[in-house]
Amino acid sequence: MKNHNLILFTFLCFILIFISCKKKSEETPPAETGHITFKFTHVVDGQPLQKDSMMYVNTAGNHYEVNQLMYFISDVTLHKSDGTTKLIEDWKDINYVDIDIPSTLTWSVYDDIPAGTYDSITFVFGITAEKNKSFMFVNYPEVNMMWPDMLGGGYHYMILNGKWRDTINNIDNFNFHLGIGQLYKSNATNCVDSIYAFVQNYFNVKLPNSSFTLEKNTTREIEIIMNINSWFATPHIYDHNSWGGNIMQNQPAIQMAKENGFDVFTTGTIQ
Amino acid sequence: MKKTFFIYTGIFVCIASSAFTQQINDTIKLSVIEVKDNLIKKTPYVSCDVGKLQIQSTDTRDIGDLLRSIPNVSGIRKGGVAIDPVIRGFKFSQLSVILDNGINIEGGCPNRMDPVTAHVEAEDIEKIEVIKGPFVLGYSPVFGGIINLVTSKPHPYEKFELHASALYGFETNWNGQEEHISIYGGNKKVFFNLSGGYRNYGNYESGNLEGHDTTFNSSFKKYNYTAELGFIPKKNHTIFISYNEIHGFDVMYPCLGMDEKSDDSRIISLDYNIKNISNTIKTLDVKIYRSDGNHVMDNSKRPGYSTKQMISDVDAVTTGFMSKLVMQFKKHKLIAGADYVNIYKDGTRTMTMQMMGTTSVKNTNLWYDGLVQNAGIFAEYSTILSSYEINASVRGDLNKATSGDTLKIIKNGIDYFNDVNSQYMNFSASLGVTKKINEWFDVSLAVGRGTRSPNMTERYIKLLTVGYDNYDYLGNPQLKPETNNEIDLTFKFAKDNIGGIYLNGFYSHVQDYITANKLPLSIITPQTQGVLGVKQFVNTKYVTFMGCEFGYTSPNKYKFGGSVVAAYTYAFISAVTKYIVTGTQVTDNTIIKNDALPEIPPLEGTINVYYKFLKGNLIPKITFRAVADQRHVSDAFYEPYTPGFGLLNFSVKYKLNKYANITAGINNIFDRAYYEHLNRKIIGTTGKLYEPGRIFFVNLYVDI
Repeated sequence: MKNHNLILFTFLCFILIFISCKKKSEETPPAETGHITFKFTHVVDGQPLQKDSMMYVNTAGNHYEVNQLMYFISDVTLHKSDGTTKLIEDWKDINYVDIDIPSTLTWSVYDDIPAGTYDSITFVFGITAEKNKSFMFVNYPEVNMMWPDMLGGGYHYMILNGKWRDTINNIDNFNFHLGIGQLYKSNATNCVDSIYAFVQNYFNVKLPNSSFTLEKNTTREIEIIMNINSWFATPHIYDHNSWGGNIMQNQPAIQMAKENGFDVFTTGTIQ
Repeated sequence: MKKTFFIYTGIFVCIASSAFTQQINDTIKLSVIEVKDNLIKKTPYVSCDVGKLQIQSTDTRDIGDLLRSIPNVSGIRKGGVAIDPVIRGFKFSQLSVILDNGINIEGGCPNRMDPVTAHVEAEDIEKIEVIKGPFVLGYSPVFGGIINLVTSKPHPYEKFELHASALYGFETNWNGQEEHISIYGGNKKVFFNLSGGYRNYGNYESGNLEGHDTTFNSSFKKYNYTAELGFIPKKNHTIFISYNEIHGFDVMYPCLGMDEKSDDSRIISLDYNIKNISNTIKTLDVKIYRSDGNHVMDNSKRPGYSTKQMISDVDAVTTGFMSKLVMQFKKHKLIAGADYVNIYKDGTRTMTMQMMGTTSVKNTNLWYDGLVQNAGIFAEYSTILSSYEINASVRGDLNKATSGDTLKIIKNGIDYFNDVNSQYMNFSASLGVTKKINEWFDVSLAVGRGTRSPNMTERYIKLLTVGYDNYDYLGNPQLKPETNNEIDLTFKFAKDNIGGIYLNGFYSHVQDYITANKLPLSIITPQTQGVLGVKQFVNTKYVTFMGCEFGYTSPNKYKFGGSVVAAYTYAFISAVTKYIVTGTQVTDNTIIKNDALPEIPPLEGTINVYYKFLKGNLIPKITFRAVADQRHVSDAFYEPYTPGFGLLNFSVKYKLNKYANITAGINNIFDRAYYEHLNRKIIGTTGKLYEPGRIFFVNLYVDI
């Protein structure tokens, strides 16, 4: 019997050792938050974009059509009047938009957005130098935005492909691509060996009339409109006949596009 | 409530069993597997052996496949070969898979194309020992169980003898063939073995589904050779040296992003054994070893190769020793020892992309001078007190890890990947009691705590699809060890004219369970084409595993006989985050309580029936295996349910003469199209990898 008691005692000790005490967790009350969804709309001077139709005329008088449009916006920030901000980054901070992929025209933001009134929305058009690294995206469709390493690497900010009617009525392709620019030692702009510096061409956009109020447990849908014709006007008139079809290795052309980009985006409906 | 239940269970077993005082010894044998339990002298936990004869009588192309015939042992299939074993839902480093009682091998492949079982050929195996639970602590840190692969060893002869054995096997469906030859012999002082083998398997077809079969890209080629030499310098002293090479090439893995281009591993070990040192000290075993592997995988046979080439090249070196002293003081047996293992891994992945007429190349480290060291000391004690046998083990491990990684991921004050150094002191212990109730029946209760430190992959891997789901995984250098607290209750009955029966129930409470959480794209983006994102290994609070196993085998003395085995495991996690995916976007998350753990095998049972003709020289056998649906699936992992299936196999073994025997059979007689719940999905799809359809096989074995 002595042995039996010893065994019983030892077992109980073991079992008690293995039973861990539960810690009381301090639960904080949930914050009052809501959600937002961005809807991307593309227009030409107020009219919904129609692809593959030579029906548009820019300020320079170029007749053109749009075949492809894809771009990144990043670091979307919501600003309150008290100076506080909410950077959208809890899940992703770079968002891809492609007019040929309907699912990319809506961005249901993962972040819990504190309820309240926001004065404005800002974002980076393209991707900042800190984040724009080659091989960051390996999957379709973002991988197709790759910008060649020899031209600065990373990814295109925007691919706007189309056609325009040139001065002798020929239909030419234009590849209005924005990304990291290059500075060349020689005038032969296509000679990559003469590149001596790269230029980051991303820029900040402040959406006009983008104030909104978010109530807790609600979702706001905010429409962001890109006017394609604005890329070719104000403050510079961009003429395809002057710049030609390809501008990836033409920093002055990219610089002009970048400076024209300040008013490309406007705010549509907020509901 | 559950904890209270176990306290009462422990008290009940101890008190109830105190009324009986008899002792018996026996062995439970199952016809497919052999379950050896010495009910008084041996183990209070479940232990199963697969012997050489069983291995020779099946279509064993892979040890992982063979292990799936053991109750509650399953496997993760990613291709035609290298099925990764799972015991009671525990897998990967939660299992201690060792070679020859103490050799630890680390595969080079982060995707586990080369688990330990892939480093040994089935033809070289003498016995596979499976011990379930964290109860035997004398091999290495043990968490969920042990698989001990014991290879055939040459032995001394009274006078010089020379022997040879050969195996030829062929399987239809794969058109696979294997050859193995061994020359062995020796005398009183020196004995040796030289052996080598080759196997070449093509792609296999699934069973027939709605009128057609599906061919899976699952071919593989392997060859190996072994040289072993034993020497007896003086009485009771033995020195044994072994060298083994195994090479695999063009091994296809349709469930992974890359295939194995080549895998070359070399294992060398030196054993020194002394017997009968004194009346008290019975044996001393010392073993030192080194395994050296190089693993190359690429996507050269995948559709996207023209635009994106990936190649990974990894070196893995494991060096270690083990010493064990066995002492006997009257009826008290004490085993004390120490072991040490040093694991080094280093590997790179080179990605080349062709886009817009240009080529970009990126080299990344999968591991960069990764080092994990584990030093352990252990003691095992056993004795008999009246009608009880007591088994107790304790083990302490000092585990250190470091890496040459310079990667730093810190965001908003959170270190996702930063300090690469870690050190842990782990303590494991077990206690088991076996009580003989009467001459035929006894009951065992075992409690154990096994702690294991995170492995190299969990600590340092960088962006590969090493997990269950379609995500790149990122290591976490600051992971904590996980601990399995397990209790097993086993009833055993054995009688000469009835047979042997065992019934086991187990309950595991795993603390600091290592799982993985999704990382936002704002922190890191994946590097593998086709994956959904990145997950990082993390500790969670606790998970629970519970289940039961049953086995019956008929007495061996009758011509007609058979066995029945069944097993079930139920596992859940207390709370887990489920990410809500809308389209391709992660839009929200929710906490799920008591969600199923992924990759837990369903309820299954197997019946074997045989009849011995011609004095046991001709034995036909029919096996029926029934597997239930697995509907208890992980919601958080979006794990799909798996339909159940039934399989019928037939084999016949004929002993031609004392030198040769032949085994032939048909597996999956009705050409059923099915897949196991643990089979992985074909990469880039939602479809699972099916098991092979109907196979005719034949093995011819000669030993002269």
